[in-house]
Amino acid sequence: MKLYTYGIIDSSKQINEPIYGLERACVYNIPYCDIGMVVSECTEPVQNVTKGSVLAHEEVIERLMGYFTVLPVRFHTVFDGRGGVVSLMQSYYKDFRDNLDRLRNKVEFGIKVIWPSDKIKEHIINTYKKNDQKVSVPDDSSNKRFIRKKLEKYKINEEFEKKANKFINVMDIFFSKFAAEKKLKKLKTKNLLLDAVYLVEKDKQDDFKEAFEHIKNAHASFKFLFSGLWPPYNFVILPKKNDLVRNLAQEDLFDKVIQHQDLVGADKI
Amino acid sequence: MTLNSVVETDFPEEFIEEMEKSSDVLPKKIDANPKNVEKGLAKLVLTLIELIRKLLEKQAMRRVEVGSLSEEEIERVGETLMKLENKMKELKQIFGLKDEELNLNLGPLGDLM
Repeated sequence: MKLYTYGIIDSSKQINEPIYGLERACVYNIPYCDIGMVVSECTEPVQNVTKGSVLAHEEVIERLMGYFTVLPVRFHTVFDGRGGVVSLMQSYYKDFRDNLDRLRNKVEFGIKVIWPSDKIKEHIINTYKKNDQKVSVPDDSSNKRFIRKKLEKYKINEEFEKKANKFINVMDIFFSKFAAEKKLKKLKTKNLLLDAVYLVEKDKQDDFKEAFEHIKNAHASFKFLFSGLWPPYNFVILPKKNDLVRNLAQEDLFDKVIQHQDLVGADKI
Repeated sequence: MTLNSVVETDFPEEFIEEMEKSSDVLPKKIDANPKNVEKGLAKLVLTLIELIRKLLEKQAMRRVEVGSLSEEEIERVGETLMKLENKMKELKQIFGLKDEELNLNLGPLGDLM
């Protein structure tokens, strides 16, 4: 019998409430010292990533979050038996314990922002032309003209980046007031100004949401996506995390799931 | 399902499009097999050359901007960078590679370029 894993919790006790996971199997806790791995039995490896299976996995983690601190395990991490789970917990007990302590009472929120990049670039070019900020390179040869053109492009791109940093800083100042940790990715595409995840204490989540609404209202020409609350997918720090997931045959499935999770700011441990 | 997590946006399709764009660019692994090994290697080598070319270009722009290059030096740098750019265009065409394909995902360090 294989064991499908959902998350590591800060308790070695059994779960009081019945929770059902993939294949509608009952979820239970495999204890190790004062922590535990929540699993359910599964007959066959999941062959297809379906919306239903991803949501079932997420639902179990969310239910667990109501009672425990949870280190979410990547979708479709399957062990051959109880021995494998216990051995993993034994090897990584200290790391799991440290993460559980650090992430106690904290949840993750995702924020993505699209900005009108074409308009902003156009504005920069117009300002550049209007101010007649000609570069001091003569154009008496094709080589110099090439450098001149490159330099103009370089300056415009530099200004574009500066503007992006400015906007991100303004937003981040607001969000960081209520966040314990954060991870920001700037300009993943020219339109996607910000792709960020914030770790927020549970009792500050309303303030965080309010800060988001404030920023959203202040930037009418920008487009916003807010997601959460999530388990702290992006804030679990493990030194050898790749060793945890050995089911390489399922890599393609993982990739598909990760693509879906990316849309909502969730990642995997 | 009783999920508590919500995704709030008035522009779901645009976000999906941008996320797809950002993940399409960089494959999680190099797709090397007997049929396309040449292209796979070319992609890797050209990515590194492109990185060096961009660094050279950036450094040159900085020096031109602060006026630390003489006209003669600008002429020479211009010729070098132009030839390098043209050669890269040629190589990309030969191996059927697009600009956005010349990048590497360095895992936790982010993208190379």
